[in-house]
Amino acid sequence: MATGKVHHSPKVTTTFPLQEEVEDGKNRHLVKCQRCPSRILNPGMGVYKQVEFPLPHMKQKTDRGDISTVEEEVIKDYWVVEDMYSFENVGFSNSVAGVKYLACADCEVGPIGWFDIAAQTSYVALSRVLHGNG
Amino acid sequence: MAKTYDYLFKLLLIGDSGVGKTCVLFRFSEDAFNTTFISTIGIDFKIRTIELDGKKIKLQIWDTAGQERFRTITTAYYRGAMGIMLVYDITNEKSFENIKNWIRNIEENASADVEKMLLGNKCELNEKRQVTKERGEQLAIEYGIKFMETSAKASIHVEEAFFTLARDIKTKMEKKLEASNPPKGGHQLKSYEPQRKPPSWLSRCTLL
Repeated sequence: MATGKVHHSPKVTTTFPLQEEVEDGKNRHLVKCQRCPSRILNPGMGVYKQVEFPLPHMKQKTDRGDISTVEEEVIKDYWVVEDMYSFENVGFSNSVAGVKYLACADCEVGPIGWFDIAAQTSYVALSRVLHGNG
Repeated sequence: MAKTYDYLFKLLLIGDSGVGKTCVLFRFSEDAFNTTFISTIGIDFKIRTIELDGKKIKLQIWDTAGQERFRTITTAYYRGAMGIMLVYDITNEKSFENIKNWIRNIEENASADVEKMLLGNKCELNEKRQVTKERGEQLAIEYGIKFMETSAKASIHVEEAFFTLARDIKTKMEKKLEASNPPKGGHQLKSYEPQRKPPSWLSRCTLL
């Protein structure tokens, strides 16, 4: 888990039509990037799980890129991916405090989730990706 | 869970800094949206899935960003690598000359049978060109590897390059498998010759 980061007024967000997206505990639809046509995860490859984890915003107010004062939000709805090779396309950032952040492999928008290095497990935030077919 | 792919290949991008290795990792460069957070910490590796002859292939692609001086790249970095993209910038003579140093570094540190390919990147900048396509082709022939000129902007060539490298690794792997599991009928003696195909003339640049 990430430690040593300054969390700025984290707030919990759960705004997702879960019943439409979760089927047998897994993602019913293809998981895609919000910005480009990149396919991230095929249907059924992610297991829905609630975990609270603070993810830096995709857009930071400052462009200074100082990761010690990064603005983030606590997100709790994730697709858990146990085997990183289950992803169709994804980017893994360099390590920060035991964690790697996930980004779109094609346009590098992110973080769209995080990777627990010790457990070798990836978490894709439902609210940071698109769900759909084709 | 059952494996959802047929092959997993670890690929490395090697070359001087500034040749556009990082851009080679983008597919939709126009849409590229490098958030400050992700660009600050940097990408370590990417996983991409391609399909070749009906086989699903996972590519794990590592960029050397930040440690581009060949002295700093050692055995640990090359461990497990099955393919290497050697990238130079066609508008930068020095980056082309350094390819020889990179190849020497690979020979000293990487597995001997690693599949290599030479990419002359930024071919959209033809007016600033310092390295002719012929020189790239000639160097590739010298080392018995394939060559393409690519443009991270016209990313279609980049994808083609990854497909070509992946296909060569797959072919090599299947040959090895075949050699270790000969079809029924007892022992088959096979002379294993390293592949020395002529370079591909697929190299094109639509923007030329």
